[in-house]
Amino acid sequence: MNFHHPIARAAVLVVLLLVTTTLVAHHSGVEFDNTKVVELNGTIKEFQFKNPHTWIQVLVPDGKGGNVEWSLEWGSPNTLGRDGYRPSTFPPGAKVTVRLNPMRNGAPAGMFLGAKFQDGKTVGRWE
Amino acid sequence: MKSKAIVLVFLPFMLCLSSTPSFGQAPASTAAAKLPDWSGVWSMVGGTVFDRATQTGQGGSITPGVREHPPYNPQWEAIYAKNLELRDKGLFPDVQTNCGVPAGFPRILNLPDPYEFVIRPEQVWILTENGPNVMRIYTDGRKHLEDQWETYTGDSVGHWENDTLVFTTVALKGSRDGDSILDRTGLVLSDKAHATTRIRRIDDTTIETQMTIEDPKAMTKPWVVTKQFRKMPAGTRLYDYGCAENNRNPVDEKSGKTLTLGPDGKPLN
Repeated sequence: MNFHHPIARAAVLVVLLLVTTTLVAHHSGVEFDNTKVVELNGTIKEFQFKNPHTWIQVLVPDGKGGNVEWSLEWGSPNTLGRDGYRPSTFPPGAKVTVRLNPMRNGAPAGMFLGAKFQDGKTVGRWE
Repeated sequence: MKSKAIVLVFLPFMLCLSSTPSFGQAPASTAAAKLPDWSGVWSMVGGTVFDRATQTGQGGSITPGVREHPPYNPQWEAIYAKNLELRDKGLFPDVQTNCGVPAGFPRILNLPDPYEFVIRPEQVWILTENGPNVMRIYTDGRKHLEDQWETYTGDSVGHWENDTLVFTTVALKGSRDGDSILDRTGLVLSDKAHATTRIRRIDDTTIETQMTIEDPKAMTKPWVVTKQFRKMPAGTRLYDYGCAENNRNPVDEKSGKTLTLGPDGKPLN
């Protein structure tokens, strides 16, 4: 999905110009635009709780009856594990709203910032 | 009968001698008791800009405009300037991103994620979760090999000065093969670099390392860099750092660009 696509624009909200602290230790993270925050609604497909970084795979409706799979990079499983997160933090099938710093080139990926589940539970930095 | 009597007379002395260590070889437990306590888990203070004391520009090691000021000679300042230019374009490759090579010295003292400093009478081990990496510092009196070949972490031998570990590191390959850096600004050393490092616990929660790096090929005078490590909460666990387990950010070796791989393994950028 491209940010210039009308459906994508409907699904994507550029919220604020925020400078965020990268959680990326293994690589520079320069591919992400940390001045932009994007919000998406979707369904958890998979939480890859593996080194060197975790990835949250989220299926986001494309408005045509299908989905676009977004890849959200987060911290290392080691650091997140020490902070109390687990592979079960993002159960497959859960409906979720996520916020991220998007890829600079508009590809469906970004640096994960926070998430809110339907029951109001939040993960990461949300407020 | 006579021999039995002699044995009985000397038995107490024989038992005493058997429990006394030979001269010059204090038992490990006694030697260890005199060594400082660096137990627990530690985390480097500050970001991964290697020499924050000479940093100019605001931000971290990947922020355009941020740089350090080691006492490079003009030739190596030009090399650093070129690396900085690539970094500003997001094209300075960090070999760690492709997994598989050690961080090396001195970068091993400039890593995110937890550290352990393990003291034994004959060696000190610096263990880093990131990597993972291990640095062995021999304190058993051995010398550097005369014909030691260069490696990422080099060869380190040292001794204790009260509660301070003092060691020298030689035989570093530096940036000779293009696969060892100090940080992501593009700091590098040559294969002639060597260092003297002092490590001590300066208070209950802080270990301080002070490296005096000399590099006659790249620098005009010794470069002193201090790094601190803060104690993490008791009970903190360390885990595998399987860099290649699910590395979705390899570096494209031709362009130096860090790739982001999609769920199908194909680059998204």
